[in-house]
Amino acid sequence: MKHTVRRTLKDHLIRRALAAPPELAAELLRRGMLTSNERERFLCLLPNEGRELPALPLGPVRFATLLAQGDTVLAAWVVLRNLIRPDELVWLYRLLALHESNEKCRELTRIVERALEGRKGNVRTKRG
Amino acid sequence: MSELNEAEATQANVLVNSVVKNLCALAARAWAKHWIITFTAPTGVGKTTAVDYAQKTLPFDRQVIRCKQITTRYTLLQALALAPGEQWNTHGRNWMCAADLYDRALERIRQRPYLCVIDEADRLRLDCFEILRDFWDDAKLPILLVGNEVLTVKLNSQHERLFRRIRVRFEQRPLREADLRKVLEFMGYTIADDEFTLLWKLVGGSPGFAEALLENANEIAASQGVKRGIEALEGALRYFPTLRAAA
Repeated sequence: MKHTVRRTLKDHLIRRALAAPPELAAELLRRGMLTSNERERFLCLLPNEGRELPALPLGPVRFATLLAQGDTVLAAWVVLRNLIRPDELVWLYRLLALHESNEKCRELTRIVERALEGRKGNVRTKRG
Repeated sequence: MSELNEAEATQANVLVNSVVKNLCALAARAWAKHWIITFTAPTGVGKTTAVDYAQKTLPFDRQVIRCKQITTRYTLLQALALAPGEQWNTHGRNWMCAADLYDRALERIRQRPYLCVIDEADRLRLDCFEILRDFWDDAKLPILLVGNEVLTVKLNSQHERLFRRIRVRFEQRPLREADLRKVLEFMGYTIADDEFTLLWKLVGGSPGFAEALLENANEIAASQGVKRGIEALEGALRYFPTLRAAA
């Protein structure tokens, strides 16, 4: 039977993890981003995508680079759930500055800045 | 550590290249003439490093404002109204409205003028630019706005009144090949000629981008248990799709 993932709010993390580069998805699984049920579903769905998860862990710079390049919602989730170490956070901040900026990236940058300051929560302060 | 020792330590930690020299020269000119000056350069060239250097070495009063601390007009006013080290402790009934804070900041500037350096000014909100214009009109506050290309576009299209008051608009060029090599060597990277040729082709004069690429390459090489080489650098490229397209 072919497993599918429905576009619901509950499934959004699994969808995003499936769409992420395999190294990043593997690293996030290692860091416990998904609950055990989600993890099971994710691993069930993975062969459908024709992909395998690499076994080697990512270093801090590569992890931050993949987060900075990829899905901003996933990256924000990783930061807000404390799945990232301080040295990786610093790299993520530096790398975000190097990319072309849009509204979502600016919001992610603000989330990272607040995490660096040790704060979390509402970051939706619009800039002109 | 005394201010003099701190300045000496900063000088030892920063390579004084054209970006640092130009920014310090413009800061001195803004201070001397009471001008508003913009300093724009592409991301990764070393603007923030130059601002840090200037903050510790300029021989006159200055206040550096970093836009990550500034999210509203009120926080900008707080940053300008409070003396260095002063805590903000007026809450509740004693809460100060923006107009009171503005007067306080104005008073502070008149009593003891300083140069206001704003890093990442391209991220400031519209109303913050209006406040800066008011400070210049009312107290001739010398201002150095530092940012990327977006700053010029933003000022040009949305802040005509401030734009007309800017006396110097300086565009810093990316570093030249020899300068980039010097900066990377100063940062502690030993780079072979073929690696540097690839780096220069990909990132031009941006040490920030070059550092990110080199660190990725270092990690790839370390995970394979080898020394960094051209293969690792090419491998790191896949983490930078925009650079790969340029290559």
